[in-house]
Formats: sequence, C-alpha cells, structure tokens
Amino acid sequence: MKQLKKYLIYPVAMLPLFLTACHDLLDEPAENKAFTEETDYTRPADMILPIIGVYATAYDMGWECYPLIAVRGDDVNAGGLGDQQDFMETDFFRYNKDYWMYNSLWEASYSKIYTTYSAVNQIELYKENGASAQLAEQYIAEAKVIRAFLMFNLARVWGSVFVPLDFDPTNLMTTGLSSKDQAMQYISGLMDEAIPLLPDMHPRDRSDIKGGVTKYTALAIKALANLELKNYQAVADATSPIIQSGKFELEADFYELFKIKGKLNKENLLEWQYSDFGQGSGDRKGHLFGFYGPQNWTPKVAGLGGGWGFFEPSLKYIKFMLDRGETVRLETSVLFTDRGIAEIKNDPEYASLPEWVSNTTRSGDVINDFVRALFSSGKHYLPTDQYISGRTEYGSNKNFICIRYAEVLLMYAEALTRGASGSSISADDAVNSVRTRAGLNKLSGVTSDQVMDEKFAELAMEWGTRFYDMIRLEKYGELSYDGRTFNPDLTFLPYPQNQVDLLPALKGE
Amino acid sequence: MRIKFLLCLFLSTSALWVFAQNNLTVTGKVTEKATKFPAIGVNVHVKGTTNGTITTPDGDYTLANVPANAILVFSYIGMLTEEIPVDGKTVVNVELTEDTQRLEEVVVIGYGTSKVKDLTSSIATLRSDDLTKTPSGQAMQALQGKVAGLQIVSGGGPGNSPSVRIRGVGSYPGNDGKNNNEAPLYVVDGIFYSNIDFLNTADIVSMSVLKDASAAAIYGVRAANGVILIETKSGGYDKKTEVTFDGYYGYQVAQNVLKMANAEQYAGMAMESGSASDVSNIEKAMLRYGRSRINPNVPDVNTDWYKEILRPASIQNYSMDVSGGSARASYSIGTNYFAQEGILDMKNEYERFNLRTKLDYKTTDWLTLGGNVIWSQATKYPEEAGAWNQAYFAVPVLPVYDESNEAATPDKFANAQDLGYRGGQNPFPTLTYSNKKHLINKLLTGFYANVALVPRKLTFKTSYNQAYSSLNEREVLLPYYLGDNFQRKDASIIKRAITYSDITWDNLLTYTEEIGNHSFSVMAGSSFRDESYTLLEAKGLNFPLGQEQSWYIDQAETVPADDVKDDGTRQYGMSYFGRISYNYANRYLLYGTMRADGSSKYQEKWGYFPTIGAGWVLSEEGFMRDNGLADYLKIRASWGQLGNDKIQASDGALTTSLVTTAVNDVLVSGTTVSGVYSSLKWEKTEETNVGLSADFLQNRLNLEADYYIRDTKNAAINVNIPAVGGTVIRNVGVIRNSGFELAVNWEDNIRQDFRYNIGFNVSTLKNEVRDLFGQPYIDGGSAEFRQRSITGRPLLAFYGYEVAGVYQNEAEINADPIAVANGLAPGDFKYKNQNGDDAVNDDDRVVLGSYFPTFMYGGHIGAGYKNIDLSVHIMGQSGNKILNRKRGEYIWTNDTNVDADLAINRWHGEGTSDKYPSSAGLRKGWNQKMSDYFVEDGSFFRIQNIQLGYHIRGQKWFGLAMPSMRISLTADRPLTVFSYNGFNPEIANGIDTQAYPVPATYTIGLNIKF
Repeated sequence: MKQLKKYLIYPVAMLPLFLTACHDLLDEPAENKAFTEETDYTRPADMILPIIGVYATAYDMGWECYPLIAVRGDDVNAGGLGDQQDFMETDFFRYNKDYWMYNSLWEASYSKIYTTYSAVNQIELYKENGASAQLAEQYIAEAKVIRAFLMFNLARVWGSVFVPLDFDPTNLMTTGLSSKDQAMQYISGLMDEAIPLLPDMHPRDRSDIKGGVTKYTALAIKALANLELKNYQAVADATSPIIQSGKFELEADFYELFKIKGKLNKENLLEWQYSDFGQGSGDRKGHLFGFYGPQNWTPKVAGLGGGWGFFEPSLKYIKFMLDRGETVRLETSVLFTDRGIAEIKNDPEYASLPEWVSNTTRSGDVINDFVRALFSSGKHYLPTDQYISGRTEYGSNKNFICIRYAEVLLMYAEALTRGASGSSISADDAVNSVRTRAGLNKLSGVTSDQVMDEKFAELAMEWGTRFYDMIRLEKYGELSYDGRTFNPDLTFLPYPQNQVDLLPALKGE
Repeated sequence: MRIKFLLCLFLSTSALWVFAQNNLTVTGKVTEKATKFPAIGVNVHVKGTTNGTITTPDGDYTLANVPANAILVFSYIGMLTEEIPVDGKTVVNVELTEDTQRLEEVVVIGYGTSKVKDLTSSIATLRSDDLTKTPSGQAMQALQGKVAGLQIVSGGGPGNSPSVRIRGVGSYPGNDGKNNNEAPLYVVDGIFYSNIDFLNTADIVSMSVLKDASAAAIYGVRAANGVILIETKSGGYDKKTEVTFDGYYGYQVAQNVLKMANAEQYAGMAMESGSASDVSNIEKAMLRYGRSRINPNVPDVNTDWYKEILRPASIQNYSMDVSGGSARASYSIGTNYFAQEGILDMKNEYERFNLRTKLDYKTTDWLTLGGNVIWSQATKYPEEAGAWNQAYFAVPVLPVYDESNEAATPDKFANAQDLGYRGGQNPFPTLTYSNKKHLINKLLTGFYANVALVPRKLTFKTSYNQAYSSLNEREVLLPYYLGDNFQRKDASIIKRAITYSDITWDNLLTYTEEIGNHSFSVMAGSSFRDESYTLLEAKGLNFPLGQEQSWYIDQAETVPADDVKDDGTRQYGMSYFGRISYNYANRYLLYGTMRADGSSKYQEKWGYFPTIGAGWVLSEEGFMRDNGLADYLKIRASWGQLGNDKIQASDGALTTSLVTTAVNDVLVSGTTVSGVYSSLKWEKTEETNVGLSADFLQNRLNLEADYYIRDTKNAAINVNIPAVGGTVIRNVGVIRNSGFELAVNWEDNIRQDFRYNIGFNVSTLKNEVRDLFGQPYIDGGSAEFRQRSITGRPLLAFYGYEVAGVYQNEAEINADPIAVANGLAPGDFKYKNQNGDDAVNDDDRVVLGSYFPTFMYGGHIGAGYKNIDLSVHIMGQSGNKILNRKRGEYIWTNDTNVDADLAINRWHGEGTSDKYPSSAGLRKGWNQKMSDYFVEDGSFFRIQNIQLGYHIRGQKWFGLAMPSMRISLTADRPLTVFSYNGFNPEIANGIDTQAYPVPATYTIGLNIKF
C-alpha cells in the first residue's frame, strides 16, 4: 500500500498539466448565436434574406401604430369610449405625452427604420463578396423605399424628427432634429436615389418578392412627400410616370378591393401582406384588425370573433357621402349599426336614407348595436364568408393596403389643379376614373376643392390622408367638428416623455 | 484482479467485527448535567469499534465485550462528547454538558472548515433544528427572518423557489435574461448550484451564509451575490446506527386576501365614470341576471373572484434516514417524499421524491474515498399565474357560470363580453382548460479521494461532481368556446425538453502547522467547471383530446414550423485559488485568499479576486482576562473583491435573427441584424466589513455586529436604447450597498427544568447608485411606470409625480392656473409643483421611493419546560415601496374591477377624498401619470412561525420501550400585518403584477429517533 501512495504523487504532480489543457476551452464561442461576422456572404442566393427581413419588420405592425397615425381627421373618430381614453383625447386634440401609444408608435417606427439601415449594410457585404451588384442595388433601393414610407408617417405625426444617418440608434444622442420639411425633402431625395435602381413593373409582377417595392412605389412616396411640401410640380412629375406606365388599374369592385380580392391587387402600389397560408390552423401572419371591428355582431359564419369597437367613421363623413349620393364607397367604408342609422335619421335632413343603408353587410354579416361606437370601419372588415374555415380572428388573412392607384390619380389631379403641368392624362380624366368606379357621374373642369372632396370620399379611414390634407391646406375649420376645437399649435403630437428623457435634442422643443 | 481487490476490501471490513474481544460488561447511567435528568438515546460505544448501544429511557446502558483498557465514547446531538477510559471498571456513570461553546463550533467555509473563533469575516450558520420548523418544500424558506442582512422573498406557488438576496442587490436585476442574477451561489457539499429546489430541508445539517466579500471571495466570480454553503447529513465513523423518521401533514390557507370592490361598489364606480359604455354594461348585467333585492340599481350577482379561485390545500412531507458508521466506513442513506398542493383552484401541485446516499471509506490511514448520490424526481403542475390577474380584474357583476350562455362549451362559464365588456374576464377557462405538467429529474453525484500526504499536515483532495437535471415539460391548452371573442379554437400541446449539466472538478492541497503559539493553515486549489444547457421545444395543434395518452405532437394535425425551438449554451470556467489563515495564541488572526477565475463567457477571460481579513481577540489579552463581563470579545475587519458572471453572456458582436413573414401567401424567411451590441466585462464587487463578536455573562448572551460597504463596480446595467426601445446591457456604473447588522441571542435555564432563549436580529440597507460614468441618470422600468437610477439615489427608484391632494371643487380649480391649463375637474389629482414654476410638467418628477427595504428585522423566543417546548419567530421589514401595477393596468383597460380601498375611498364629492381621484378621473391621462398614487408602502410585520412540541421519551407502551419521539404543532406565517393594497407585500422587484398569495400553513409533525 505504501507503494501505491508513492505512485499517487505522480498524478498529483501532473495535475497542472491537465488543468492548463482546460484553458483552451475558455476561448469557445457562445452557443446558438448566428454571429453576423460569420455569415457566409459568398452565397449570393442569401442576399435576399436581409431585404425579406425589412419587409417582415414593416409588415409586423403593432395594433396601436396605425390608429394613432390615422385618427385625428374629420373622417374618423376614436370610438372606444370608456377605454383608451387618451386615444380618444388625442382624437379631440388633447394630447398627453405620457400616453403609452405615443411612445409605442415612435419606437416601432424607428426600430423598423433602423432595420432598413442594418439590412443595407448586410446587402453591401454580399455585394462585396460577389453577389450581383445590380440586384444588391435594387434591394438597397427597396430598403430605402420602406424607410421612406416609415419616415413619412413619423414626420407627419411629429413634425420635426430625427433622420438617422447610420444603423446605431445610440448615435441619436448627439444628433439634432430635422424639420418636417427637411424630412420630406430627405424622403424625396431618397426616392430619387432609389427610383433608377428599382424594377420597372407592378409590385405583383415581381417574381422574387411578389408584392414588394418597385419603381412606382418609390414614385408614389416621392409624390406624397412633395405634396406635404406643396411642391405640386414635383407631385405631378412623380405621379405622371405611374399613370403613363399603364401598369396600374383601379379595381372595378371597390367593395372587394378591401377584401381578399384586394390582396396583391392591380390597384396596389404598397401593401403589408398577411396570410393564413391556406390552412385553418397553424402558422399565421396577421394584423390585429379586431381593433377596428364591431364589438357586437352576428357573423354569417357563426363563431367568428368580432372586434374592439374603436375607429368609428364620423357622422360628418357619412352625411358628406350621403349628400354626394355615394353608394359603393359609403357602403365599403362604413359598417352601420341600427343605433347609428337612427342617429343619422335624428337629423331631419337625413330622415330618410337610401334603402341599402342597413346593419347587414352585402356579405350577410349583421352588425349589432354596441355602446362604444355607432359605426365601424368597413375598409378594415373581412366578410366572414371569405375566411378560411378554422380561423376566427377578425380580418384574418386580409392584407393592409398602404398606397393605391386611386390616391396617385387624385394626387396628380390635385397637383394639376394647383397649377402644375402634367405629362399624362388631364385632371378631369384622373378624377373621373375614380368617380366612375364609384358609380358617380363625370366632372369637367375639376377644381382643387372638388379634388379634395373626392379624396375625402375615396380615402377616408386610410392613413390619416384627410387629416394631413387639411393641415397642409390650413383648413383648420374642417377639423373643428363634433365638439373638437383645432388650432395650428395642435398640428403635431408632443414627443413621448420616454424619448424626451432619453434624447437631449427633444428637450429643447 | 478486480475480484481479488473486492475480496480484500470485504475481508478488511469484516475483520472489524470479528476481532471484538470478550472482556467486560460495562453498565452505567447517563444524565444531563444541567437538569440532572436521565439522558435518553445517548450513543455509547467503544472507541475504534462499532460495539455500541444507546441509553434507555432511564438513561441506563449496558455494553458487553468491552476490553478493560478501552475508551467509551458518549455522544448526543447538542451535547459535548465525552470520552471516558474504562480502566477495568464495570460501572461508568457520565454527566453530559450542553454544547454551548459555539466558538468551538466548526463551520464550513469555502473549500474547508474553520472554527467560529478563527473567523475574521461575517458568516451566519443555521443548524437543522432551526430549519426543520418551517414546513416548506424549499429549504431557503426556513431562513426567512433568521439571518441579519438576508432577505428571502417567498416564491408562492408549490415548487417555486423563493428569491434570496444577501445584503441588497449589487447587480442590476434581470440582466441574465432569466431574472435570477441576484441569486446567491449555493454550494451543496462542495458542488455549485444556482437553485436548490431539489433539497429536502430535513437532509440539511447546516447552512452557512457567507455574507461578506472576504468570506465569499474564495468562490471568486460566482460569489458576487453572496454564498450559501450547505452541508447535508452524513454518517460518522464509529457511530451507532441511528434511524430517524420525520414527517408532517398540514393545510395551507390563503392569508390577507385582497378585498375587491363588490357589485354595489363597482356599479357605483361605473355609474360615476361618465362613460356610457360602462353604464350600459351594468344595465345589461341587470337585464341578464336580474336586480339585487337589496339595492335595485345593482345586478343580482356579487362574485368574489378571489374566493372562487382559492382553496385550502394540503402539504405533507415524510423522510426516513439511516446513518452511522464503523471505524473505517461512514454512511448516510435517506429517502424523502414531499407533496404540496397550490391554493389556486386548479391542478396546481408539486410532488417530490428523493433518494440520497453518502459514503466515506478510509481505505488506509492515508487514503479516504467517498461519494454521494442524490436522486430527485419531482412532478410539478404549475399554476396558471394569469388567473390571479384575471381574478383581480374580473368584474363582480359577472357570475362564474351562466346557463344562458347556451353556446358555451364544454362548460357554461359566463362571458363578460355578453355584458359589453371588451374582455371575457372570467378566469375559469384559464384555470380549467389548461393542463401543464413538468417532470423534473435531478441526479447529483460526486466522488472524492482524500490523500494524507503528510499525516495531519498535508492533505490532497480531488473531487469530481456532476449535477444533471432534466426537465420534461408538457403544456396542453384545451379548446373552449364562451363567445366569438372568448374562445380557444385550437387545442395546443407544447413539449419542451431541457437539460442542465454542471460538471466540477476540484483539486485541493491543504497544509496545517502549529509551532508554539503560531498556527497556520495554507490551502491551494484549482477548479474546473463545464456548464451546459440544452432546450428543444415543439408545438402541435389539434390532436385527439379524449385521452391523455394521445397527447403527443405526433398525433397533431398541424405542427407550426415557427414554434420549433432549439437552444443551448455551454460555458467553461477554470479557477485557481489559495488561502492562508494564521492564528497567534488565539489572539491575533490573519486571513487572506486569492482567486483567479477564467470564463469563456466574456471577451475579457480572466479576473482576479483577492481578500484579506484580520481579527483581534481582546478577551485573550491580559488586560481583559477575567473581567467578569465578556467571556469572549473579538474585533474583526476584512476587505475583499468578488466577481459576477451571472450577467448574460455578451455577444460582443452583431447577431442575426431569423424572421418569417408572408409573401404572396407563402411563409418565407429573412434575417434582421441588431444595430446595437454589448461588449461586457466582469462585474466586480468590492466589500469592506468590520465586525464584532462577543459572548457575555457566562456565554449566555452573545452578539454579532457588522458594518459593511459593498460596491459593485462596472455594474452591468440595462440601458434603454433611444428611439427604438429595448435595452442593451453596458458596464456603466457603480452601485453601493451599505448597512449595519446586529444579532443578539440570550439563552439560559431557570431552575432545572425550564430553559428559554430569546434573540433578535436587525439590519439596515442603503442602496445607492454611486456613479453612472458621466450620465446623470439611466432609465429603467417601463415607459409608463418609470424607474430611474440616479447618482446618489437607490437603483431603479420609482420616479414620477407626488400627489399633493385632490381638487375638491370648481373654486379650487379656477384658483389654480395649472388646473385651468390642463382642463382639470374636481376629483382630479393635484400634483406637487416641485420647482415652483407655473406648470406641472416632467421637471416636477422626483424619486418616489425604492423597492429595497431599508430596515429588516427578525426575532425569536423559545421556551422549554420538561417535555414541552414552544418557539415563536417574527420578522418584518420597512422602508420599501411597491408599485401597485395592478392599479396601473387601468391605463390600458379600464372596464375592469378595482380594489375595495380605491372604490370606497374614491373622490365622489367635495371632502370625500384627498387620496384617490374620482371614478371619471381614474380614466384621465392626467391622473394616470406615474405618481405616488401607484407607489405604496411595502412595510410589513409577520409572525413567521409558532411551534409547540412535546417530547415523549422513556415511555413504555404495552410493555415495549418506545423510541424517542417528538410531536409538534406548527403554524407557519399565520399573521402578516401591512397596509399595502395587494394581498402580499413580498414582491421581489417591487412591481406587483400578479404575486402568488402567501398562505398560512398549519401542520402537525412527528419525529422519531431510534
């Protein structure tokens, strides 16, 4: 046994050698991380991944984002009385910078904007490693178009905003603000960079990313930005090529445009895509359309979920439409309840309504009375007979349209009526094509006011277009309706408190 | 060859029994010196043999085969062991003295042991007697209120671990991604754990809390949040076999259930809300369920949702173990069964079965081999925590069942949407249509070899340990339909397999030497760690529901590709450490350790953590001798540095995430790249501790006092990313915790048969952000409920407006330009205009308090008379604030119920309240600003434990001698007093969203030893 003890000394003495061998293990990298630096940029087929990432982030729109962008116009009310009171207060132009939605919209928009920057970096690395330079330039241009649309909405809501210059948000700590006009000019310039590099086709004709961005999307965003700048000639110059291209057409059935038929429709220049992937359960990408839906309904297909009862088309809009003798556009834009119909009739001038005004939709879904609101938004409604069986979420499988050809035509017409010269059709033709689809008679010698009315009728409940038009044209009186008092100081939302605390540039404001 | 060896082993062991010689038969009586009572169950054996017996109920013993020159050993727990030479006598009577010499006690320190009197740092040790009084499946729960500076926050549900904080928080909570980076390191018999939920309390011999850096520094990088050393039961050489049975059974009853507004109060609030939809909801409820006969303006429903979802629940625990040993082998084998139901009325249970063995074998006089195995198998049916929240918010005008909800299936539960509410509210679908089952298997094994290279001087020990845990989780959600918007269409099943493997290989060389008055011990060692984690998870939709046997993903109709998860981590650690302790004439003590830690986790691989300590035993000095007051007096001071590697592994580089989206109705994948990344270093904690240990009045009064300052440098803090939201961890600050701790105990006998003890401990804590590397503050918490870390203030302090009162009338509004400017109405908050300018705005926000208690206390009193003993423990804390986030939920959804205090004390007319706004006001953004309306006092006082015990010893029943037994009645946490409007003031991070209520537990227990 003494011998054994002697032998034991050796392993003990050898121990340090064993231990130092373990040191190499300290240099092992972490598990389950895809280190960006290790991405294989030499596989050109993978270059599409970052741009798909940009689309995925853009499509992933929180339910509170759009309502805050779109609620302040005279076309729509907050609805939802009794809940989300500060959303309603915002509709009444009484702002609260502590309100969570403000911060949420701000962060969601910027985080998507930053995704476009980091995607550009990635695409450039693929390009450096031998991927098609032309395709790389196209993808980069696509990222810029998505960024431009996000920036456009941010600047409309807040006025002066940050225009990020690189992909690290912490650099904003030392960045100054750009005024709204500077932001719009930036967007317009960004589109000029992108346009020559983008595919010359309808988004739905793209084979790699069907429904992705094309040259015409960029032109439309350029037009939108220049409209804000009241640079009407630039608006006409940007919209003309879209019209001239002949690649876009109004969907004949206005009602179905906002339903399944509207997915990747020939009218759409930009849309957020969602899908049930053709199956009744399992993977699903969707937007929370329930926010806009009626709180109480009897769906034609029993058992399908209703909505939250927010986002109520205004009585002002409905009466405006009735005055014009609108049918399909009113029917498509508004879901009526019996209580809502009675409320319209309370006004002696509207004591008798057209027969088609009913709480049963064309598709057979019955909208029952609910306390929160009198009406719901029809453009965010999907008839239950168009659902994939098995799905119950309100509006499941429906896309969200961002820019459509009708708006392009009307922007073009407006620019022309405000003195711009167009290289395409006449303002009359542009307006009349929209009117014809709506079942209205043609106009001749359209005025700016007529175009604005047409925009009101056509684009209600869509992206706050009406509100921002009234701001641009300083028609503040229109916004002071139904107990609201607007003044120019209320044009922009205050910066969210959370951001003010973080970003020195916002404190001075 | 191997057979030969085993044979040899067998023979050498059995030789011990064979060689017992037939000499004398010795008899005698053993008594307790203090009481002169017969000492029962005392272990008597011949030294160096297994020949032994235990004393009878009369204290008598008879032992045959005793060699005339043998030494008899008398031992009993809590008594000093006596060794008496036989010297040919046949009668040996002995008096045993109680072991009150706590200074001679040996406590476990890192990689070794030390006598209490040699310590220079702050270590608190609890023995099994203190621990087993608490009926809980979680051993740490037993420490609540018993150690100064140790904060235990109950975990609530069965099988949930409490959160444990030693001397405040040095590290920013939640930045390890799992929210447990505040947790101390547990070292169970030398093996590292971050969670000890597998341990049976009765298996623990001692728990040592290493509170200061000097004590913990030997554990280097893992020790920043303190270290708790746990020794489990082992046998003993030359120890008579002892069999112990421990068991208790009892009930848990929810305490301090929060009172919510009843139907009348709620309806009143709704009517005053100024919201047509809320009024309409009440009207619909009256239409649907009728009107109350007492108040016809209230629906005839008054559901107390908490009452509906709570139940009394059982708790039981049984353990049996055997321990003992021969001259060369020592063993301890035990088994334990623990079962606890949750007080939430659903399948919410925890059941654990443990097997444990520990063996030590002295193969030669210089080589000892040993090992231990613990197998723990637990089944947990976790609570649906969301139900607490739902019960809080569910309106009282909704019944549980509604037969008129005809389409409802499978049960006719009521749906609040039928009344017009946005949500369905009823918590019962959540509780009923969920089936979650977690199987938790843990296997902990270890093997060691101890080589005495130079007898009693130089030893080498190598030990290899592996802890392997496997979690198999199955989470089934069953479909139901209560309405179009309150349904679960698809049945879903999630299967999750998680494994953890922690391997530790330690090598220690220890040298001790005594030359005259100088005694010292030197230790050097190394430790290698390999820690890995894997996760594999998949989900299936719609499978045959009827039988549990069909609940497999294979049976599912759809397996969503997006829901498959695969994850893992693997981290290596390599450490070298050493310790020197020196003692001169028991008067001057010096202590020092050094540890070098290497980790694969960070870009910076190596960290070095030194410590030094010194002690001066004044009572050993000539001038202090025989002063008649202090028996022992020691001043000690120490300084040390620790590291913290619980911060999540830093990527140190940009990382790419996979995302999916729909393109043309096809699911396609893309990537996104984070624009911000962290590059992290070790967090370093530096602590200075000064303390005093003293015994007075014949060792009856003892006192431990400590003052410490602990700085966390390079504190890794979650920094909000501007504009895009989210956070990134950066090493950006210095956090200081400092405090004073005092523990005093008095123990004495009055006459022979009455003994008592009384003691208390208090601790203060000051948590402060010392530096943020130039930034004035760092924001945390959520944007709506701001928490801000400001230099000079506590970490993550609640930050907002101070409510000065409530506007009472129009005149008051009109007189205040601020009220006019903000369009306020009577019943709205009046905020304090801190800077005195003409507006209340973000510049008027101030620190509203911190979630750290500034003062914690505990106390105990115990008394025993003859066979009866009684003990009472109390505890409490003050100075901390709780964010009542449940009330805060009103910001997002306000058609829900509120607590009764708010409903009753709301403003509803001039002079009715200066504390809460009106019902309409609650809905206004102005009143929803983060203010001290949401931040409440978190102080509480609790009677922690009352136990009454009765010993049965020396009894003969039916002519048979009964073993020693103790029957006990325990009330655990029977009373808690607090003012907070929630039902549990124990909120670890101070944000109360849905705490599991703390139940009072009443048990009856039995302990048998023979």
